[in-house]
Amino acid sequence: MANSAAMPPRAIPRHFQGCSKITDYDMMQKLGEGTFGEVHKARHRGTGRVFALKKILMHNEKDGFPITALREIKLLKMLSHDNVLVLEEMAVERPKAEGRKRAILYMVTPYMDHDLSGLLDNPDVRFTEPQIKCYMLQLFKGLRYLHDNHILHRDMKAANLLINNRGRLQIADFGLARHYDEPVPQRGRGNGEARRDYTSLVVTRWYRPPELLLQLRRYTPAIDMWGAGCVFGEMFKRKPILAGQSDLHQIQIIFELVGSPNQQNMPGWDQLPGADAVKSTSSPGAGKLSSSFREIHPSGLSLLGDLLKLDWRKRINAIDAIDHPYFQSDPRPMREEDIPSFADSHELDRRNARGQKQALPPAPAGGTVGGGPNGEWTGQGPPPNSGSWANGDRPQYGSQDRGPPGVDRPRGDYDRRGQPYDHRPPPPPPPRHGPSWGNGGDRGGLPPPPGEGRHPLPHPPRYGPQGGDRGHRGGPPGDKYVPSYRGADAERPPRDRDDRRSRDPDDRPREGRRNSQDSGHSRDSHRDDRNDRRGYRDRDRERPADSRNFGRERRDGRTRSRSPDRRDQRNRDRDRDRDIYTRR
Amino acid sequence: MQLSPLANPLATVAQLETSGSQLDGIPADLEDSIRFASARLTQAAGALLRLPQEVIAQAIIVLSRFWVGPEGGSLAEHDADQVSASSLYLATKLSAFPKSARSVVNVYAYLDSLPTTFFEPELLRQHKKAEEYYVSEGTLEKRRMALFNMEQQILRVLGFQLQTSLPYILSITYLQALDVFSHPRASELAKRTVAYLNTALLSPQLLYLTHQPPCLATAAIYLAAKEIGVKLPDVEWWEVFDTDREDLGFVVVGLLSVETFAAEEQKKWLGRRVPLTVGGLEAELGMRRNLSEE
Repeated sequence: MANSAAMPPRAIPRHFQGCSKITDYDMMQKLGEGTFGEVHKARHRGTGRVFALKKILMHNEKDGFPITALREIKLLKMLSHDNVLVLEEMAVERPKAEGRKRAILYMVTPYMDHDLSGLLDNPDVRFTEPQIKCYMLQLFKGLRYLHDNHILHRDMKAANLLINNRGRLQIADFGLARHYDEPVPQRGRGNGEARRDYTSLVVTRWYRPPELLLQLRRYTPAIDMWGAGCVFGEMFKRKPILAGQSDLHQIQIIFELVGSPNQQNMPGWDQLPGADAVKSTSSPGAGKLSSSFREIHPSGLSLLGDLLKLDWRKRINAIDAIDHPYFQSDPRPMREEDIPSFADSHELDRRNARGQKQALPPAPAGGTVGGGPNGEWTGQGPPPNSGSWANGDRPQYGSQDRGPPGVDRPRGDYDRRGQPYDHRPPPPPPPRHGPSWGNGGDRGGLPPPPGEGRHPLPHPPRYGPQGGDRGHRGGPPGDKYVPSYRGADAERPPRDRDDRRSRDPDDRPREGRRNSQDSGHSRDSHRDDRNDRRGYRDRDRERPADSRNFGRERRDGRTRSRSPDRRDQRNRDRDRDRDIYTRR
Repeated sequence: MQLSPLANPLATVAQLETSGSQLDGIPADLEDSIRFASARLTQAAGALLRLPQEVIAQAIIVLSRFWVGPEGGSLAEHDADQVSASSLYLATKLSAFPKSARSVVNVYAYLDSLPTTFFEPELLRQHKKAEEYYVSEGTLEKRRMALFNMEQQILRVLGFQLQTSLPYILSITYLQALDVFSHPRASELAKRTVAYLNTALLSPQLLYLTHQPPCLATAAIYLAAKEIGVKLPDVEWWEVFDTDREDLGFVVVGLLSVETFAAEEQKKWLGRRVPLTVGGLEAELGMRRNLSEE
């Protein structure tokens, strides 16, 4: 045996389970930009099924494989529910150039025709109340599943809710999600209480609940429920209902909408670290929820009120939300399969179609992205709440202080990890965001500066060839942008509905779904009579392309995922910490 | 949800039959030696990094998964110490105790400077001259890159399957269920149980890849109770913990054999280091060739 063991030629080709080659897929158009890379539509060469491929950028990575991605992959591999996006596999793109050793990795998920943000932005789409009920039920079922399994999503927003043309809604983007160490919500008991601290630097601002804005660190699944409430309202208004321009402004408009805090509606609010800054600026008010949402049925209004409750302890949990009378009252929720299909609506398309935009609220700076792997504050400067630094996610346990030779001390790890995923030049001063919905009136018709729109930062070169000019797309008024997917569509023969459906990722055999829990709201057998759907699609196809300019009038972009301008946000957070939230 | 605290992805029969290393012509005994030594290396590095045993155990499981099966990593291709370092780095990333690449590189440089691959606790407490394991900036950069490259390689070989359930907490729950904590030697029993679970990590039979945590916990309790002399119920209590007699017997024998195996390994490599790099492995194989030709 040993004799034969002259070293063999190095690479016996090996096939890895759960990991396929990127050449198994035909890349189609770009769908969006995620936390750590672009999302592309792609067709699997073997099966013809269409997937979404999320690229994990390893560019300049100072800590190796991004922790965010690692955690998201690990979580998604463990999850299986009809209303949670499935991670099919990972795809590897072998580096072509000699110098590069590490491969590019893609997360492969089923292709979903829309994200909720893009769909709400699509001028051709009007949601009916039964449809909204159907989506909300699915959202709550997904959230119930996550919370029941001790997972906080921590980035609930319309752009992270994917919807396909079979009426299925799925929660996506688990880049900020983490394990929740507390007892899970019980029926009729709200969302419980947390006994330990988590980072408060999570959730995109417009969907961030008041307790997080006031820097409660012992938060609960109630933070996701607040986001669900914002999404609920957004489905009626077709724009984010709480689009604050700064964290302080965010909390102000929350109090304006649902009433200012007091010991009855938010016990202990004045004890929260961020309360001082708010006390001086807010005046008592009763809130205007019911007058703001006249279009919602009273029972729907009551659900909205339960979701947007200031008191996170009493905020409704996902279990109770599903049982809310709103879903039992007329009009009843639609069945998933009865929901009409729409032209593909992705946030990126909408964003590209719009000229002038209000910037997306910055991505949360904390969590696993800008922070340590457990959401510790790792930015420069002191943690936002220095006093409780020691109470972070990471217990300071005794033996840590006796370091072995040559090992840096635990604290040092974190300090060194300062800005693990940010390698861009310092940001320019934050752009001014007009209070209007991005009609750009105050710019005097000038084209937006490069990078204006969702990203206040100049675009780093990492977005590839098209990336550079993306910011200019809007152009001066009158510029007509043809959405890219339209072009791609035109090259293909018009799709037959049945053909289309057979390629739909969700059509694959149910057994393939790792004992998935059914949302209990679909009837797979119900496939007949979809002529009405064809109508939608064809009408859309015949529409002149430039009618997309419509979108430009609309509110600004949000993204299917968090924006890369994290650094900017961190700086702003720091400024905020310094300027506004300093205790006097 | 597959987030069962009780289940792990296990190695298939095909994976256990052969390995990438064996396909590349590495003798099985040498493979066992290197696997054993790199598991111990991981354990020592984890201890030096002051990591909880759960994180170390996860790293060793990741490490074992990497080497297993025809599609697994091959010792002819990858340095065993690098795989150990990257496994540990990956495991800390997913834990609440992240360590910087610098720390990991430092610790492995320190362990590499020791004259043996059998790291006794006494040895680790000795103070060595810092020059012997100093990592310069240039070397650090190189090793960091190697750490990250191997990290990706591991992820791909594992198909990103990093889910690792551990039997430690489970074993305590089982002991509680068996109602033995009133016994005067209960704490000894619990310690011994945990020690057996740590032993299983080093088993050449890869017990963590062949048996689910409940079975491992049950076997560890069974052995520990016998050894300490705590009487467990007369009935077939292991059935309650999803373990049948056959599996229990297999794991018990497997656990008991580790001691002999370890002693033999120590004797075999007395005064030498187990080759933990591709280069070292080549040298070892060359030496063996020469010996057999003489």
